[in-house]
Amino acid sequence: MSMQGMKKLQWIGRSIPKVEDRKFLMGQGGYVDDIDLPNLLHVAVVRSPLPHARIVSIDASRALELDGVVAVITGKQAAELCDFMPDFNPEPNLHKWRVLADEKVRFVGEGVAVVVARSRYIAEDGRDLVDVEYDPLPVVPNARAALKPGAALLHEGMESNVALDSTLAFGDVDGEFRNADIVVRETIRWGRTSGQPLETVGAVANFNSATGMLTINSNSVSLTNFVFLIAGSLKVPSNKLDLIPMPCGGSFGAKFWAPRVAVTAGMCAKFLGRPVKYVEDRLDHALSCDHHGSEREYEIELAMTKEGEFRAIRFDVIDDYGAYFQFGLGTHGNAMSQVIGPYNMKAVSYRAQGVLSNKCQQGAYRGFGSEVHNFAIERIVDKTVREHGFDPIELRRRNFIQPSQFPFKIPGGNIYDSGNYDGVLDEALGMAKLEHWRAEQKKGRAEGRYIGIGLTTCQERSVYSANEWWFFRRSPEMGVSSVPESISISVDAVGAVSATLYSTAFWGNSPETMVAQVLGEELGVNPGDVSISYAGTAKGLPASGPGGSRFTVMITGAVVGAAAKIRAKALKVAAHMMEISESDLEFVNGGVQVKGDKGKRLSLAEIAVMPRLFKHQLPADIDSGFEADMVFDHPYTTLPTADRSDLGIYYPMMAHAAHIAVVEVDVQTGAVKFLDYVAVHDCGTVVNPRSLDGHVIGGLAQGVGQTLLEEYVYDEEGQIMSSSLVDYLLPSAMEVPEVRLGHHETPSPFTHYGMKGGGEGGRMHAPAAIASAVDDALSPLGATRATYLPLTPERVLSLIPMQ
Amino acid sequence: MKPPKFEFFRATSVQDAVAALNEFGDGARILAGGHSLVPMMNLRLARPTHLIDITRIPGLDQVEERSDGVVIGAAARHCDVEHSEIANRVCPLLPEALKLVAHETIRNRGTVCGNLAHADPRSELPAVALALDAVFTIAGVSGERQVPASEFFLGPFMTAVGPAEMLVSVKFPAIAKSAGYAIAEFARTHGNYALAGAASLIETDASGAVTRATVSLFGLSSRPLRATKAEKTLLGKIATAEIVEQAATAALEGVECSEDMHGSADYRAKIGRVYAARVINSAIARANAGENK
Amino acid sequence: MSGSEKHNITLVVNGEKQMVNVESRALLHDVLRRDLGLVGVHAGCEHGVCGACTIHIDGKSARACLTLAVQIDGSKVDTVEGLADGTKLHPIQEAFWRCNGLQCGFCTPGMLMRVSEFLEINPNPTRDEAREAIASNICRCTGYQHIVDSVMEAAGRLRGEEWSATAGIPATELRDTVKETL
Repeated sequence: MSMQGMKKLQWIGRSIPKVEDRKFLMGQGGYVDDIDLPNLLHVAVVRSPLPHARIVSIDASRALELDGVVAVITGKQAAELCDFMPDFNPEPNLHKWRVLADEKVRFVGEGVAVVVARSRYIAEDGRDLVDVEYDPLPVVPNARAALKPGAALLHEGMESNVALDSTLAFGDVDGEFRNADIVVRETIRWGRTSGQPLETVGAVANFNSATGMLTINSNSVSLTNFVFLIAGSLKVPSNKLDLIPMPCGGSFGAKFWAPRVAVTAGMCAKFLGRPVKYVEDRLDHALSCDHHGSEREYEIELAMTKEGEFRAIRFDVIDDYGAYFQFGLGTHGNAMSQVIGPYNMKAVSYRAQGVLSNKCQQGAYRGFGSEVHNFAIERIVDKTVREHGFDPIELRRRNFIQPSQFPFKIPGGNIYDSGNYDGVLDEALGMAKLEHWRAEQKKGRAEGRYIGIGLTTCQERSVYSANEWWFFRRSPEMGVSSVPESISISVDAVGAVSATLYSTAFWGNSPETMVAQVLGEELGVNPGDVSISYAGTAKGLPASGPGGSRFTVMITGAVVGAAAKIRAKALKVAAHMMEISESDLEFVNGGVQVKGDKGKRLSLAEIAVMPRLFKHQLPADIDSGFEADMVFDHPYTTLPTADRSDLGIYYPMMAHAAHIAVVEVDVQTGAVKFLDYVAVHDCGTVVNPRSLDGHVIGGLAQGVGQTLLEEYVYDEEGQIMSSSLVDYLLPSAMEVPEVRLGHHETPSPFTHYGMKGGGEGGRMHAPAAIASAVDDALSPLGATRATYLPLTPERVLSLIPMQ
Repeated sequence: MKPPKFEFFRATSVQDAVAALNEFGDGARILAGGHSLVPMMNLRLARPTHLIDITRIPGLDQVEERSDGVVIGAAARHCDVEHSEIANRVCPLLPEALKLVAHETIRNRGTVCGNLAHADPRSELPAVALALDAVFTIAGVSGERQVPASEFFLGPFMTAVGPAEMLVSVKFPAIAKSAGYAIAEFARTHGNYALAGAASLIETDASGAVTRATVSLFGLSSRPLRATKAEKTLLGKIATAEIVEQAATAALEGVECSEDMHGSADYRAKIGRVYAARVINSAIARANAGENK
Repeated sequence: MSGSEKHNITLVVNGEKQMVNVESRALLHDVLRRDLGLVGVHAGCEHGVCGACTIHIDGKSARACLTLAVQIDGSKVDTVEGLADGTKLHPIQEAFWRCNGLQCGFCTPGMLMRVSEFLEINPNPTRDEAREAIASNICRCTGYQHIVDSVMEAAGRLRGEEWSATAGIPATELRDTVKETL
């Protein structure tokens, strides 16, 4: 039982400046590359220049002659030193992957050997001297090529390059389409991008041969219950691997589970008996981060009545997963959690084909597949508006799931916990100055200027369960389901509060501030007085870490649970000290007092010292110490049925947002410029509104990048064109709009304080809003609609028919 | 991404630098700001054996006024030229172009001559040099020689500077007070390389007829180009919208545009035309308004 | 004549004279981080695009990843470590803290160094000018808006104004919330 509902909130809901900021401001962030050790060795990875080839031979003799080069480990040797890399894909046997390619390479940039040397400079010198002979194989440059009959196989054991082709259907899809008055069809394409955090993935590994303990400082430590898989890859006993979390200089999914770097460093450290550092440089990361985002083509069909009531929707998606398939169709499982968007549809069919090609494999990028899904739904809703003359606002309202209908079970089985979609839309419209922009648009058109307004209303699911990773595959019937979060809280003999986190909780998402604010609420301490540290996996408590916008909700659950234990003990001890019955006492303002009598009170410090130092002066049933652990499981998960007729509940904390973008398109160049941008997000109860705003805007900026700028382009020969930041275009301050933010809070009935996650939203909404605005801008010119991302300036121009 | 090994030599004079180039041979490169060379070295696309630093050669950072223009020494930083009173007064197109070069932080270290000698086809300054008929002074073991801009830019990252030679300075001719000038470019992100851009210098007479026109293009081909056909189209005429359109179209005639993931050849030609027109229009407007006082 | 692969250089770093022996090819950010322990200087791309490595050389912002340390022998270098006065944050740092101008902190040192240069050149910027000034520094977390807020707030503070009520939270509330001894 938490403190919520018992009094006015003291700390939750306040935009306090963040408790972790100071060290970062002073340049003392403690990132993994800041670690330096005596005798530290450095790694450079030899990478394949070819997209698909057999490795014939590797001659490292010239490299080994170089002063300062300590070792060269080839893929063949690595295959002895290490086992296969972990896969969350339930059937990994057909497309296993290794820390280094051993027999063949499957994408440009795949590592084939590592050079270990006294410095990164020397390691790269050594790399220049490693001679690799390749025997090229026919290239499979993309999904279309991969699907052609007779295409070369990326993995010989497979029958084709389709890793999984799976369809899920719920409700009477065929019937709804048969009876529909209107069926709208749409195709969309979503380009390949990735999180590209400013800090790449890195690790420092140290092997103690006396104890057999392999210690790795890593900026990717999450899903710690699964770390035994990494130990398995490294061929160390599972209890002899200690992954120590370091703050992440950004992740956005790229550090969600990125074991390749830690395994590389760990393998070298164990082999050489010396500490080894491997930090990706920007090219390493772009080429081989294992976390490229979705790359999809959709065919969508939407069935509705002539009044515009959406009845059913069909999705047929081809997703280019690259060379491996580590999360299976997890990014489609993710989309299923909000498969109908905010609209009350009755039936859904969803076919996903996970296709393999000669590219870096996909992993996690903010949205984990749902951001693409939002784009797909909103594009077809807009097409419906365009083709059948509906009003875009009324059509959405007509179909919104209503507040009275929550908790709402969607086709597929997931639940939307709560929402107020009309409320959010009202607020957005209220802020958007639509009349002004329509007038500007009219004036502009007369002057040959093309202004457009785009609206999107989308879901933003939060707090995932593991089920989404595997339910697209029907066998085995059940997969993993644990994704807990933990915390340890301690109050010392003088009343100081400490908390320990067990993952790379820090991605830039201010987990310490979240913990501090919730602890402030739960124990009445000042958030600035809480000391927070991080413990490695050897310290035991399981932690899933951030991702899927889950961290705040999950750590709050853990804090609430641990704090309750602390308060319970405090009451017990205080009852003894004050010789008053527990039932006459209450925990309030960071201490225990007699109910209604502030005068009779003991502070937390006065209480804590007793079991800390004076255990035997207390009743026998009060243990020493004054701390509590809490392992908190997902608040609301049910499992899929074996036949997948119901996927269960796995992502019920459903946030929502409305975005309204106003753009001007330069019809001579295709450039898109922002004139205004309104975003209203509803993420339930918000712990730190200013902090959340920062995540919304930051995510939105990534949405702008996705829509207009960023892309990993692999050409027809499988060569990657955009591996450096010269060509992979990250938005600067000049490419991102000034955003006017609105807020709405519809609490979740299933979480503490009614919180939902909100970290991914901006990126999950902006692309549809921008594309919609571009369409609106170009509509007088009879332009084709913007459904192919990214909307490069050339692509935008190509939408406009030749004059 | 770390650079390969090389030897570093600090030259104390131009002669010293040239002698070093001669001595160290093919693998030697001049180092000024390093902001074109070092990124390529970090990517190991450039592997010089010797770097000859010229940034402390006395006087080489000069921005000096001449009777007919401004001379920029090889060690003069972009920011020094951008904020130089002389450059702003004598040749204002140059500081205006500099504002488009990357960002202030890069301009604090990069040099004008270094940028010109690097001859990236997407760079702005080479096009300005072409539009203004700048003159390049190149030093070799046998002395100095002058090369006009029209003969300086030979291809992508290729200039008239020979193997054992260095660019010592560039003279940008003075811009007449009554002349109009403009530069504009289309880049996908702020400060980034241009997909296409144009620079122009235009002088008009009292009736508004064009008495002098130079138009240069950058970003869209393998080297910066003078759009002589565009210039011929404008000369002697009062530049109506139609004439400017014709000139812009003529500018791209016969130009082989490059293509990459950011734009096809066709697209570059399109926006090349758009920017040629925009820049010509701006230059004409300024010339007619007598803006350059 | 000959060139050299190793050099003894002297730099005045954050006001302190430092002598280091460096290879010709040693990049300034590596020398600062490795040889001088200034780990606040970050490397994000090592090809001059992202700006995470931004420091000051002789009073002007520069990319440490594109600077060969040997080239600036004798120069003055200032990094983020030189901003705070002991444990007291520089007003620009405090402005970023108040306005939520950072999330992961990786771009922050470079951003602070760029902003400190900018505000010296333009102490009374418009919002648009502040936004353009930081276009040279990539931030992947914030979407820039709170950084622009931070720059405007810092500008005001450096001009002698009080912290504003719109800097994220009311100024009067700050004293009662998170302890400034953090």
